[in-house]
Amino acid sequence: MMKNGFLFFVGLLSAFVFGWAGIALGSHKQLGGLAPFYDDSEGSSFPARPQGLAARGQLVYADLGCASCHTQQVRRPDFGADKDRGWGDRQSVARDYIHQIRPQIGESRTGPDLANFANRKMDSSELFQFLRSGIVAGGKAVSHPPYKFLFESRVIVGEVSANASPMSASSAPGRQIVASERAQTLVAYLQSLNTPYQFPEARPVTPLVPKTEAAHK
Amino acid sequence: MSSPSINAEVTAADTAGRWPLLLLFGSALTWLVIASVLSLIGSIQLHNLAFMADCEWFTHGRMTALTETAFVYGWAANAGLGIALWVLGRLGGAPLRAMNWAVVGTLFWNSAVMLGLIGIATGDATSFALLQMPRYVQPLLVAAYVSIGVSGILAWNGRRTDGTFASQWYAVAALFIFPWLLIAAQTMLLWSPVRGVLQAVVDGWYVQGVFSLWLAPLALAGAYYVVPKSTGRTLPSYEFASLSFWTLLFVGSLTGGRHLIGGPVPAWIPTLANAACCMLLFHYAVVALNLRGSFFGGGTALRFISFGLAAYLFGAVLDAITSFRGVALLTQFTYVSAAQQQLAVYGGISMMLLGSIYFAVPRLTGRAWASASLVRGHTALSLSGVLLLVVCLAAAGWTQGHDLNNAKTSFAEMNSHARVWLLGVTTANVILLTGNLILLVNYVRSVCCAFCNTSVPAEVAFRQPSAMEAHAS
Repeated sequence: MMKNGFLFFVGLLSAFVFGWAGIALGSHKQLGGLAPFYDDSEGSSFPARPQGLAARGQLVYADLGCASCHTQQVRRPDFGADKDRGWGDRQSVARDYIHQIRPQIGESRTGPDLANFANRKMDSSELFQFLRSGIVAGGKAVSHPPYKFLFESRVIVGEVSANASPMSASSAPGRQIVASERAQTLVAYLQSLNTPYQFPEARPVTPLVPKTEAAHK
Repeated sequence: MSSPSINAEVTAADTAGRWPLLLLFGSALTWLVIASVLSLIGSIQLHNLAFMADCEWFTHGRMTALTETAFVYGWAANAGLGIALWVLGRLGGAPLRAMNWAVVGTLFWNSAVMLGLIGIATGDATSFALLQMPRYVQPLLVAAYVSIGVSGILAWNGRRTDGTFASQWYAVAALFIFPWLLIAAQTMLLWSPVRGVLQAVVDGWYVQGVFSLWLAPLALAGAYYVVPKSTGRTLPSYEFASLSFWTLLFVGSLTGGRHLIGGPVPAWIPTLANAACCMLLFHYAVVALNLRGSFFGGGTALRFISFGLAAYLFGAVLDAITSFRGVALLTQFTYVSAAQQQLAVYGGISMMLLGSIYFAVPRLTGRAWASASLVRGHTALSLSGVLLLVVCLAAAGWTQGHDLNNAKTSFAEMNSHARVWLLGVTTANVILLTGNLILLVNYVRSVCCAFCNTSVPAEVAFRQPSAMEAHAS
C-alpha cells in the first residue's frame, strides 16, 4: 500500500473521511433536526427565540472573544460545583442552543459561567459600570478587564442620556459617558442569557436501584 | 547556483530548492517571534487585568485568537511545509519541481495570515478555535496551501526510489489531507454553519484534526528523517511504523471530543474520544520505539527532537488521562488544558520542527549556522522556557481546578491563588521571546552570509552531520 501511489492516496482520503463522517456527520444526523419543545400547558415553544438586540449582542460577545474566559454550559448538578455556584439548576442541553447563530459554549473558566447570567439580576446601569470599570458595584478590586472602549464621552445636549453611565460624574463637566451601541447590544445579550425551561432530556436521571431497595423495605 | 562548499552533505535537491525553502523557514521564524510577543501580552493580561484593556484590538479574547493563529498558521505551517518539501525532495532523489508555485504560495499564505490577524484584531474573528481568521481570507488560505503543497506531491509521485520511508508518508499525508480538513471545517462552520452545539462538535473535530492530521505528521516527517541521519543508524522496530502511521490518521481526529466532557453534546462524543485517546497510545509507543535513538545522540538538532519527542509522548499520556470523566472534573475548563495544548504544540511539534530546521538550514545554505553561541543560547532559552511555561500553566490550572469545584471560593480568591504561577507563565513567555529573537537573528545572519557568498572558511568541510548544526564561523 505504501508503494502503490494510488492506494496510498485512497487510504489518506478514507482516513480523513472516517473521522469526518464519524464525528461531524454522525452528530449532525443525531442533532441537526433538533426542534424546539412545544409545551401544551404553557402554549408556547422553548427555547424562546432571542430578541433582535440580544442576537446582535452575541456577535459582539463573539468578536471580543469573551468565550476565551467564560463558558456558557452548565454541567449536571452531581458533576462539579456548577449548581452550588448558582450557575444553573439543571445541566445545559443541546436544545438550549438551537436558535443561537453562534453558540459560545466556551472551554475555559477563567471567569464565571454565564449560561444563566440573567438570573443575577444586574440592571443595565450596573452592567455598564462593571464593563467600564471592571469593578462590581460595591466591590473594590478590579475583577474584570475594564473595557472603556465600549463607551463614548459625549457633550450633553439637552437632557442626560438614559444610557449614560452612573460614572458620568467622573468625566469632564458638560460631558457624559454613554454606552456605545455595541455595549448596549452586549448588555442586552447578557441580560437575555437564561435557560429556565425544564426540557425532558435535562431532568436528572433518577437511578432505579434505590427505588427497588425502598420497595423491598 | 553553485555553492563554494560542494560536498556530500549538500545534495542537488538542496541547491535546487534552496531559496524557496529558506523563504518558508524565514517566514516561520518571523511568525514565531510575532506569536511570542502576542503570547506575552496575553499572559500579562491574566495577572494584570487592566493591561492594554483600553484598546479594543487587544482584549484578552482577541489576544488568545491572535496568538494561536500566528503560532499555528504562521509559525508551524511555514516551518512544517518547509520541512515536508525538503524531506520529500531529498528522499525523492530528484530536485524539487514547481518551486515557483511554492514561492507564490508562500507569499500569498503569509499575506492571508497577516490579513487574518488584522481581521481578528479589528473584530472580524469567527470565534471558532483555530479557525479564527475571518471568512474573507479563508479561500485564499486554501489556494495558497495547495500551491505550496503541489511541489511536495510532485516530488512524491516522481520519486526515483523503489521503497518509501516513514517521513515521506507523514509529509504526504499532511500535505494532502489538510486542504480537505480546512475546506470541510470552513463549509460546516463558516459557509453554511451547522446548528447550535454542533458547531462546537465540528470545531473540536477540526482542532484535533489540525493537530493529528496536519501538525503532528509534519513534525514527524522531519523527525523520522533527521534522527537516522544524525545518529547514523537505521530506525529500530521500523516494521511497526506503517501501522503506527495509519493508527494516527484513522484514530487521531476522533479524540477531539475530550474537551466536551459534561457539555451539552451527545455523551458518545466524549466517550468515543476517551476510547480513541487510549487506542492512540499505540501510535505513540511505536514512535517512541522508532525514534528512541534521538535520546542518545549529540548535536543541536537531536537535542530539540528528543525534547520534542518526550513532550509529544508525555502529552499523549496526559491527554489520555484527562479524557476520563473523573480527571476531567478537576482539569476541564482550567489552565491545565492550556498547559496540555502548549505541551503538545509548543513542546512537541515546535521543538521537533526546530530540530529539523537546525538540521536542514546548514544544508540549504551550504554553510554552518552563523554563530554557535547564538545556537547554544537559543537552545537553552527555548527548552527551559517551554518547560517553565508548561509547568506553571499546569500548576495554575491545578489550583484553579480545586478552587472551581469548591463553591465557597470566589473568583477573586481563585485568581490570587493562581497569581504566582501566572507570573511564572509570563516569565516563561519572556524567556521564549528572547530565545526566538536570538534564533531569528542567527537565521538572518546565516542566510545573509549564504546570499552574499562571502568566503567559506576552510574548516567548513563538514563530514559529520552534527558538525553543521553549530559551527562558529
